[in-house]
Amino acid sequence: MRTFTAKRAFVTFGLLPSIIIYTVFVIVPVFWSAYYGFFDWKGIGEARFMGFGNFTEALGDDIFWLSLKNNLIVVVASVFGQVPIALLLALLLRKGTWFQRFVRASVFMPMVLSSVVIGIIWSTIYHPQIGLLNGLLDMVGLGEWKKAWLSDPAIAMWMIAIPIIWNFIGPYLIMFLAALSSIPSEMDDAAAMDGASGTRKLISVTLPMIWDTIKVTIVLCISGSLKAFDLIYVMTNGGPAHATELLASYMYNSTFNVFRYGYGSAVSTLIIIISLILIAGSQLLMRRRNQT
Amino acid sequence: MRKSLLLVLVMMVAVSVFTACSGSQNTGKGTSDGGTGKEEKVALSLWHNFTGDDLRARTMREIVDKFKNDHPNIDLNIQAIPPDGYKARLKTVAAANEMPDVFLMWPGTMTKEFQGGDLLQPINELLDSKSEWKSGFLPGSFDGFTIDNQIYSAPMGLSPTSILYYNQAIFDKYQLQVPKTWDELIKAVESLKSNKVTPIALGNKAAWLAQSSIISSLGDRVTGSEWFLKAAAQDGAKFTDPEFVKALELLQQLQQAGAFQEGFNSIDNTQMEMMFAQGQAAMMIDGGWALTNLSANASKEVLDQMGATVLPSVPGGKGDPNTTSGVVGVGLGLSKKVEGKKKEAAHELILAMSGPDAQKRTLEANQLVSYKVELDESKVSSLFAKVYKLMNSVQRTPVYDAILTSAGADAVNNGLQELLMGGKPQDIAQKIQDAQAKSIQK
Repeated sequence: MRTFTAKRAFVTFGLLPSIIIYTVFVIVPVFWSAYYGFFDWKGIGEARFMGFGNFTEALGDDIFWLSLKNNLIVVVASVFGQVPIALLLALLLRKGTWFQRFVRASVFMPMVLSSVVIGIIWSTIYHPQIGLLNGLLDMVGLGEWKKAWLSDPAIAMWMIAIPIIWNFIGPYLIMFLAALSSIPSEMDDAAAMDGASGTRKLISVTLPMIWDTIKVTIVLCISGSLKAFDLIYVMTNGGPAHATELLASYMYNSTFNVFRYGYGSAVSTLIIIISLILIAGSQLLMRRRNQT
Repeated sequence: MRKSLLLVLVMMVAVSVFTACSGSQNTGKGTSDGGTGKEEKVALSLWHNFTGDDLRARTMREIVDKFKNDHPNIDLNIQAIPPDGYKARLKTVAAANEMPDVFLMWPGTMTKEFQGGDLLQPINELLDSKSEWKSGFLPGSFDGFTIDNQIYSAPMGLSPTSILYYNQAIFDKYQLQVPKTWDELIKAVESLKSNKVTPIALGNKAAWLAQSSIISSLGDRVTGSEWFLKAAAQDGAKFTDPEFVKALELLQQLQQAGAFQEGFNSIDNTQMEMMFAQGQAAMMIDGGWALTNLSANASKEVLDQMGATVLPSVPGGKGDPNTTSGVVGVGLGLSKKVEGKKKEAAHELILAMSGPDAQKRTLEANQLVSYKVELDESKVSSLFAKVYKLMNSVQRTPVYDAILTSAGADAVNNGLQELLMGGKPQDIAQKIQDAQAKSIQK
């Protein structure tokens, strides 16, 4: 009994620094920023209390809804791009031969690059004059398909979704590989004995076994997509004319370009609320599917 | 167990000693160095953004270093912050009321905001004590730094934002004249276009370029400066007025004539300058800041082929066509909290960095200054000498983002991107009007 309390005290003591740091640098600022959302504040001088004014203004702003729409494009592209591709690759690359290890490493590589580097690489690929993509189209005789990929508002958002997908497949691949390797081999044997193989085995045995991992990756995917900022900032800075504005870049611009700290804080609070709704929604959806 | 506890304790003591040391450097009280110096050391903090490898930044760093060596009694704490992040950092410490003692700041909106936040003190005293220095500045140099007859800084540079750079070799090849009127410009564009040469290089990814370099001057040609200042103050003029819509239409006409290369909204101004430097475009509309980049990237032969002029006149325009939009450059601001010995030291530093000698050296580093200096042409590039001559023969008009509120300027930036993608001029004018009107009320 005594050792137990001592252990607990020690654990608490050990956790204390991280809890304190997390509280001071994450939890408190979140509420603090929500509080600033109720003020009209330029950063310098007096802050003026204005109730829900900032929130209603954001909700009435076309650009806010445009950024939300763009952000949902990123969420959809990530959830339906990253997760299935990562899962497929994990299933194909389970064995770990020399070649498979090489492919795994290549898929993971973008993760270790800085997002600024990735942004610059893809900006160059998409470059209207000297870009790789337009050059390639010219080479195979599809010159009329050439486009200014990032300047055309009709496609710019989708063009940015591609590097975002490419960038983040790696970690999900690793998570799926880990989940797959934790399936006990008895399950494989049992499935074989019951005569299940191929797709049948995949759907009835493998996927249910790693379902929890899939759920986690989807949550990570949604929250990651809603935080997406760095690639946009490097590649288009939300332009042209807000065509690729995301919630985070909209928040950044209203805070640090237009210097409306209160309004920016209100927008970040809205981002948190939207993230929570989306994650809760996806959890609800998947729980039901899990039970049936 | 005990040993590790001891280790932790030792480390904690060590850390606290280190922090105590660095802390004392920042307190600004100054530490006397063991009785060797008679005078007490004065601690002074300086923030600047001269971090680059261009001539001007190097020159400024040399000046600061020299100042440091010449003044052993001043303990200068220098923070050099890269230009991209400088404004945001400065605004952040301003929000926390922790300004450095001396810092680089911009005329116009930023000076007004800092003054409004009670963060600045005027430097009239210093300027009046060196009347020769004060009278050396070009007319209007202090306008952006003056509030209620108090001058808060002295400009260290001059930035014309709208210069039409052209490549004489390309013009000669297709027997074209440098356009003086809008019609000539459109004709030149069409002719170059039919010869498969990009008429005007444009890199508007960062969105401020079309605003600062094109519409600031083009708008002024059409509407006149007086209208713009009224519209910015929302006093008797609106951005939905037909004059301004006309200016937007002209810019759109230029784009529809095929003046700019494909994808201009996805490359930035550095890439645009590269395009022009490599002879891939016949013209480029850019500010005086392009000079350093061009001088560094174009060969001497190409550089000698380059010319510079102002934007062409427009039919029926109310503004003087012999002008360019421009602002005086950054200056050193002095924090409100600085006083006594520290203030004397700060004054000396400001004089060293923006005084007559510094202005001359800045000019020789291929950076225009708002100060009367004879230019020794052998020390600068030929293109710089041309721009220097041009600036002495034209008047200066306001730049949009130096006068508009931050929100208004942001609306212009995004609106012009939309305009160049085919948006309706009236709608864009309305958005700009709404943003400016809303932000000026507060």
